[in-house]
Amino acid sequence: MSLFKARDWWSTVLGEKEEFDQGCLCVADVDNSGSGQDKVIVGSYMGYLRIFNPHPVKPGDEAQAEDLLLEVQLREPILQVEVGRFVSGTEGLHLAVLHCRKLCVYAVSGTLGNVEHGNQYQIKLMYEHNLQRTACNMTYGPFGGVKGRDLICIQSMDGMLMLFEQESFAFGRFLPGFLLPGPLAYSSRTDSFITVSSCQQVESYKYQVLAFATDADERQETEQQKLSSGKKLVVDWVLNIGEQALDICVVSFNHGVSSVFVLGERNFFCLKDNGQIRFMKKLDYSPSCFIPYCSVQEGTINTLIGNHSKMLNVYQDVTLKWATQLPHIPVSVKVANFQDLKGVIVTLSDDGHLQCSYLGTDPSLFQAPKVDSREINYEEMNAEMKELQKIIREATKTQGILPESEKQRDLTVTAEVSPDLDEESQATDSEIKAETVPSVTVKVTIQSRVAVQKPSLTVCVQAPLAVTCDQFSFEDLEPDSSETVVLSVFLKGNCSPSELEGNCMVSYNIPTELNPEGIPRVAQCTFSLPLRLVCLPAQPSKAAAHKVTIDTNKPPVTFLTVFPDFVDASEGDQANALGFQFLTGSKTTLLASKTSQRYRIQSDQLEDLWLIAKELTHRLQEHFRKQNCKDFACTFSGSIPLQEYFELIDRHFELRLNAERFQELLSERAVQFRAIERRLLTRFKDKTPAPLQHLDTLLEGTFREVIALADAAEENQANLFQAFAKLKSATHLVIMLISLWQKLSTDQVAILEATFLPLAEDTQELGWEEAVDAAVSYLLRTCLSKSSKEQALTLSSQLCMPKDTSRLKKNITLFCDRLAKGGRLSLGTDSATQQAAVVPGGCAPIPECDLEERAVIPGSTAAFARHGHITKQKSKP
Amino acid sequence: ASGMGLEPLFQAWSYFRRRKFRECADLCSQLLERPHGEQELDSEYTVFQAAWSLKTRALTEMVYVDEIDMDQEGIAEIILDENAIAQVARPGTSLKLPGTSQGGGPSPAVRPVTQSGRPITGFVRPSTQSGRPSTMEQAIRTPRTALTARPITSASGGYVRLGTASMLTNPDGPFINLSRLNLAKYAQKPKLAKALFEYIFHHENDVKNALDLAALATEHAQFKDWWWKVQIGKCYYRLGLYREAEKQFKSALKQQDMVDTFLYLAKVYLRLDQPVTALNLFKQGLDRFPGEVTLICGIARIYEEMNNISSAAEYYKDVLKQDNTHVEAIACIGSNHFYSDQPEIALRFYRRLLQMGVYNCQLFNNLGLCCFYAQQYDMTLSSFERALFLAENEEETADVWYNLGHVAVGIGDLNLAYQCFKLTLVNNNDYAEAYNNLAVLEMRKGHVEQARALLQTASSLAPHMYEPHFNFAILSEKIGDLQRSYTAAQKSEAAFPGHVDTQQLIKQLKEHFSML
Repeated sequence: MSLFKARDWWSTVLGEKEEFDQGCLCVADVDNSGSGQDKVIVGSYMGYLRIFNPHPVKPGDEAQAEDLLLEVQLREPILQVEVGRFVSGTEGLHLAVLHCRKLCVYAVSGTLGNVEHGNQYQIKLMYEHNLQRTACNMTYGPFGGVKGRDLICIQSMDGMLMLFEQESFAFGRFLPGFLLPGPLAYSSRTDSFITVSSCQQVESYKYQVLAFATDADERQETEQQKLSSGKKLVVDWVLNIGEQALDICVVSFNHGVSSVFVLGERNFFCLKDNGQIRFMKKLDYSPSCFIPYCSVQEGTINTLIGNHSKMLNVYQDVTLKWATQLPHIPVSVKVANFQDLKGVIVTLSDDGHLQCSYLGTDPSLFQAPKVDSREINYEEMNAEMKELQKIIREATKTQGILPESEKQRDLTVTAEVSPDLDEESQATDSEIKAETVPSVTVKVTIQSRVAVQKPSLTVCVQAPLAVTCDQFSFEDLEPDSSETVVLSVFLKGNCSPSELEGNCMVSYNIPTELNPEGIPRVAQCTFSLPLRLVCLPAQPSKAAAHKVTIDTNKPPVTFLTVFPDFVDASEGDQANALGFQFLTGSKTTLLASKTSQRYRIQSDQLEDLWLIAKELTHRLQEHFRKQNCKDFACTFSGSIPLQEYFELIDRHFELRLNAERFQELLSERAVQFRAIERRLLTRFKDKTPAPLQHLDTLLEGTFREVIALADAAEENQANLFQAFAKLKSATHLVIMLISLWQKLSTDQVAILEATFLPLAEDTQELGWEEAVDAAVSYLLRTCLSKSSKEQALTLSSQLCMPKDTSRLKKNITLFCDRLAKGGRLSLGTDSATQQAAVVPGGCAPIPECDLEERAVIPGSTAAFARHGHITKQKSKP
Repeated sequence: ASGMGLEPLFQAWSYFRRRKFRECADLCSQLLERPHGEQELDSEYTVFQAAWSLKTRALTEMVYVDEIDMDQEGIAEIILDENAIAQVARPGTSLKLPGTSQGGGPSPAVRPVTQSGRPITGFVRPSTQSGRPSTMEQAIRTPRTALTARPITSASGGYVRLGTASMLTNPDGPFINLSRLNLAKYAQKPKLAKALFEYIFHHENDVKNALDLAALATEHAQFKDWWWKVQIGKCYYRLGLYREAEKQFKSALKQQDMVDTFLYLAKVYLRLDQPVTALNLFKQGLDRFPGEVTLICGIARIYEEMNNISSAAEYYKDVLKQDNTHVEAIACIGSNHFYSDQPEIALRFYRRLLQMGVYNCQLFNNLGLCCFYAQQYDMTLSSFERALFLAENEEETADVWYNLGHVAVGIGDLNLAYQCFKLTLVNNNDYAEAYNNLAVLEMRKGHVEQARALLQTASSLAPHMYEPHFNFAILSEKIGDLQRSYTAAQKSEAAFPGHVDTQQLIKQLKEHFSML
């Protein structure tokens, strides 16, 4: 991240697909021109050696052909190039080139031509050494304090330092504890070699010590380089820096003070001669190369550090002085002096971008990509805005989404329930103890008129019923194709279902031109299941606790015609009583009056009446419809069995209370468990373990309690589920009886169902009781209200579990009373009396306090929350 | 490309130096596949050993994350924290108590707060989302949006993501089978042990084995290697043994002053909720390493979390003196200026970030808000436009829409504001502030029931905000429900004790009650 970028003075790209690394760049006046003008020497892993003399006509120019003084291909990869006084007898600079198994020293010379492009340069091999070991890197310097010449030290990949006194090999020494080579540097002040070992330590070895550790191998001089370590090498000093290093530089700009700079992978160190840290800096990026280049201010040293985010940072000791962007990741950076420009930064990237640049306030202005900014036509936009707002208003007015008309359906799903039960039951894992649990086959067919992607079918029946398989997914459908699946439905849970219906749903995607992934669509259908699935014919019984009588306006029909699947044909027409045995064990009897037009359903359990009553009315209606008898109607005259119904509600509510108690107990025990855990943790963490004092027993005990409570809660849950199923059956029955009793229209029945059977699941937080109570009291307050006073009653704002069911019972009783007295169920907003309920203020319900005047809102009091999450930067990666 | 007969090990070594870890690891794998027995690791130097170590390092570097930046406090750690020094800490000595500001931090009316009651910072770091719920139940029930998600334990959080690296990179099983490793043998080879430790710790994320290795190695080094002590400390920290970690770090510091060790030790103190000790430690570290940015930044962060905004700003400025490209410092100073009613100055800081190449939704979001408050309306909408364009997820989009809604309220276009807040909720259904503001708009329209429902949603989503409570109190008072008004006002006062309007309302209500 920087404001500025490095100003390009001269740059070029070397070769094609060549590789370069740290040692491949060197800057020096290699041809001894004496002008003080540095040349840039670059070697590559492909074996090319190039020497440049950049002198652009104006900054930023492309490299000219005559800038390249020399290009030769050597036979082997070039690992490192260095320039020093490597040839005996002369103080002139020579070029040392390190190959994998060879060290060559060349003299570079130029002959001047008449014009500039007539200049000729060539290299001459002065001497070479073949190496026995694979080289890695090298350093040079006046080892041992020799004057006027440089010796070379090569580090091999397996950890041997090989020293060459110019044309001759001096000795080789293995570094102790070596694993992988680190950077190598020579400090002339202390006459020692400094490296970073695989133990993550900076180690310094005196040249003297290296030289004298030879005793044992004196006689093997013939095998020059095969010398191995003799006397144990003693390290001069060691500094543990705790990381691997990329490079080491030894510099002394101010006389008398020399510093060892180490560039680690995560930190940057400056060490004193004796290996103590002078300063260090934690880097928040991955560095790639560095060079300490000068001391601008007394006592400080400036360093250039390049990193892998293409930045070059200039530090004065630890203070960032400048940051600049480079066009590439530098693997090596040098500072060079050219004829007309001093202190040029030379960088090399690993794919061969060589650049000479200087710092400057050339802003690297970040150009944000353009967002498609279109010419704004205010009139059009206003019109569009108005249009959109109209749509929004429409959408908020009409609730729900309009169903698509049936003929537009691209995909239809149909379910067909087979008329007979399966010969071989498909039921699995049923909880019912009966010997055979019958099952019935349902065939679901999907027909598609267009191409459909990813259709998937879900079949669901309400528990306690279950299906053998409820999820199907298909391959993409072609136009006019169909898929069929077969599954079986059976009774799984140990209670009677409240509905004998199932639902199939297909979700699919239809691809369009704009949206190739497809627009999601849904198609669904319902199917109803036969009564035989949950009950069997049985002997009718005379006596029962609960009886319901349904009147009709037509002469009675024999059971043989209405219930052919339950009546044995041999018994003939006489049978006026029919018994039903539910799989769960209870029994229901259906009686037909011979004289009057009545049917009586009786059972010991209220909820068991529902399925039979429903089946009866349904089948009677079917029967008369077939006979084209349109005015058939069932009625109910007797009182609604509310008392029995309330018992079921109480039972359900009691279980809910139990569940709540279990929850409280569980959380109590869990708190206790954690408290013991915490104490145990402290005990175990102690260095001197204290006795546990039976804490472990306590923990175990609490754990068992928690588990036992959880088991009990689960059992309660199962009971609750059964109780709710019963409650639902009974509710259905009550709804049916009310509607038969008051001869309600279908719309009104729908309202009734919505009131008593909320779609929400019955959960601990939001249960059936409070939902129904809210719905019933809403109806009482609006369409069934007697006076405007009642309408003003505000609803409790939050639904929460009531303390007992008395209020609910009272409301339901009241509800039935009002219906009996001629109340009409409707949800329309046309009734003028309802308006008052919405707008408060006018008639405040608290009569003691006259606050009506205070309708004015103090303007500033409504506090807007301030910008919540405004200021955020992504954290550093 | 390098067909010229470079030694493979040298090539791998060079790849490693250039951070081409994938290539390096592949090359090392080839070297390791050459017929060599397991026993070769026992012998002295071999190419095999070197390649093994290099591959270990390369695999580690691929997934390396600085341990100092890793901070994740899981629910279990908070609940089973037995390191708490004082249940009721004195003001200014703890990070747990919100609102114990000494340096005159801004009030929540000016600067929004996080769930734990600390001011919102200008820079998201792992620890800025921390807050300490008082019970397990509360911790679990706290609304878990994408912004505040907290793992059950830290062992199941981000660490797991890092630890699965081995499964991804090597389809035929992990490179090193830890269960078959004889740690004692490796502990005696310092050159292999350090790389191996980092591999186990960072790549495999197996803290227990790493700790075993480190314990053996430090013993082998006769407790003279500070590096091993720091590593043991890191392991202890991960295991939640903070006191033990502290001991190791202190012992390491005695041997060798290192910036990292200071940072680790300070992190331990912060986890132990001793910000003052951590501050002193940072200052001690600064004596040894003057001008170290990470240390100054650490101080600034602590001051910020302690709600001492002015000191924090001072230290952030010090950071910029040392490193003027420090994004975190620029962003934090910018947000400080913004919240102290100097949007023009904040704008300059954010513009600086933009020039430096930060290019994301949040920045444009901030730029847009600054422009709006600095009355540079021409730039406001285009900034938000860009922010929307750059938003990476729905949470960010929601933030932008929310702020747009805010701007719309500011210019009085209530219709637009209404739609903006609706869009906020479409993008992020848990946006409590948007619910609150929508409620205020509904209130103005006279839709009391809707407003009340929205306010209730807002206050259940963000119990730490005082606005929904206060608005609810106002609303209830207006329709004459004094009892509810009073309860809500009390909640509002608990969330923001210094709010004058709330206090007035409570006073008024009390007068009413006494009259009855």
